[in-house]
Amino acid sequence: MVVAGQELRDLWLGGRALLLTFALSLVLSVVSYLVATNQALNYLEQRESVNLTLQVAVAVGALLALLAAADTISGERERGTLESLLVTPISREQLSAGKLAAALSLWAGAFLVTIPYVWYLGRGIGVVGEALAAGLLVGTLIAVFLASLGVVISTFSRSNRVSLSVSLVLLLALFAPTQFPTSAKQGWAGDLLLRVNPVTAGEHYIGKIVVDAHSWSHDASWLLSPVGGAAVFALAAIGAARSISLRGGSSS
Amino acid sequence: MSAAVEAHGIRMTYGSLVAVEDLSFAVGAGEILGVLGPNGAGKTTAIRVLTTILSPTRGTFQVAGVPHTRPAAIRAGIGVLPESAGYPEQQTGEEFLRYYARLYGRSRTSAAAVATALLAEVGLAERARSLVATYSRGMRQRLGIARALVNDPAVVFLDEPTLGLDPAGQRQVLALVRGLARERGATVLLSTHLLAEVEELCTRVLILNRGRVAAEGTVSEIARTAAAPRSARVRVPAERVEDARGALVGAAGVESVEHADGQPGGLVVTFASAGEESGTAAVRALAEAAVPLLAFELEGARLSDAFLAMTGAA
Repeated sequence: MVVAGQELRDLWLGGRALLLTFALSLVLSVVSYLVATNQALNYLEQRESVNLTLQVAVAVGALLALLAAADTISGERERGTLESLLVTPISREQLSAGKLAAALSLWAGAFLVTIPYVWYLGRGIGVVGEALAAGLLVGTLIAVFLASLGVVISTFSRSNRVSLSVSLVLLLALFAPTQFPTSAKQGWAGDLLLRVNPVTAGEHYIGKIVVDAHSWSHDASWLLSPVGGAAVFALAAIGAARSISLRGGSSS
Repeated sequence: MSAAVEAHGIRMTYGSLVAVEDLSFAVGAGEILGVLGPNGAGKTTAIRVLTTILSPTRGTFQVAGVPHTRPAAIRAGIGVLPESAGYPEQQTGEEFLRYYARLYGRSRTSAAAVATALLAEVGLAERARSLVATYSRGMRQRLGIARALVNDPAVVFLDEPTLGLDPAGQRQVLALVRGLARERGATVLLSTHLLAEVEELCTRVLILNRGRVAAEGTVSEIARTAAAPRSARVRVPAERVEDARGALVGAAGVESVEHADGQPGGLVVTFASAGEESGTAAVRALAEAAVPLLAFELEGARLSDAFLAMTGAA
């Protein structure tokens, strides 16, 4: 797809994506060092070290995809390049889909960067393959969900600043429950809160696979909201493309 | 001549604001239509409707034979340089054109070839591999015109292509516009404030005022309908100014002759009625009196006079 190809070139050859993935590798290096140290002191099980690192990678990788997505339409609008794109024969849906695909490449890059860290922390206990597979599955679902959300926000935002701010606030709101104390996560209300939020549900699922060594089907119900969120918001991003306007807000 | 662009009763509103009202006009293939109007007259909105960026509240139109109900097909056959268009700073001119050529369905090879050819056509061949960030405003506008041509369009819409350019840049852009019609045979809709250039360049003119069509026709048709007073400015050698005055006072159709303020040899001639015949009679009178004529300019016969009269922008 022409739009996706150009966006990928702009993101990766332009250096922005490389810079962000380099920043991710620095974060993962620090996290890996800390968990490896704790592991050596017997404060942390090896599986827990892998889980923690993987969850950070999924969170940051999805954040990168969201940031790229939040710039898609509002960025073109702000740079004055949107009208030139809209007068080409490509449909607005193709435009949004191409930009969404390019934004997701940041998650793909983040996942590739994560592989050596997970391998290093999980080697010798047979968890690396499953951890990477779970991370890829859940991370992709969360990245699709968040990047699609970012595209929707960007479609309707009048400025890039608004788009990025709203996206980050929503991201913080979605990740906040992961930091709740254990007591807040118990009971039916806590359980529901974790399950309906695609981010917390996905990270919970990774934990069950990596730490508790559960089978993939055992906790599959936790994947409902990540799958649903990804599907609904991907469709919403493409559907919202019809409303792309030069001014932002509602279609003019 | 078949109409390349035809609009019937287009109305466009933004909430309660009426941007365009009852816009109807037609322009033939290969013509250059100057779209004029004061700021806020509805020029950009009209172009956005015709380029399918905006859906009209009411009315119909067709561009290059394609009805407005098929916007994608219209976009495939037109080229557009939007007002204040932005450019990706981190792409080279060549990459930029290749990308747009690909968006119009060209293969990689064809896109590269068309990008090279268009950069040469707009005089940017030497800067093809420079980042757009390093281009001057005039170069960006020429690049924008090149982008509007990647699909070899039948109709080209140029919204204020000379905005913010210095006189040399304006000349370059207008020369390109002339070439679009003459060499490519494209129909051009040119929105601009440069009335003198429109007079020189455009085969037809559409004047908009407060969203409505104030006038449509050839430059001379519109100038003739202007309500501006008809007079002429004459310049002769200073030592012959009284001879000239005497000759003009006796010429047919001349109402009065006054000395022009601060111009030795300058006279202002007022005619009894509008019409080019009076001007001709005045020139003939000077020739018969053997007064050398250094300059003669009819006022009220120019597009700018008509524009000011029709838009009330004086």
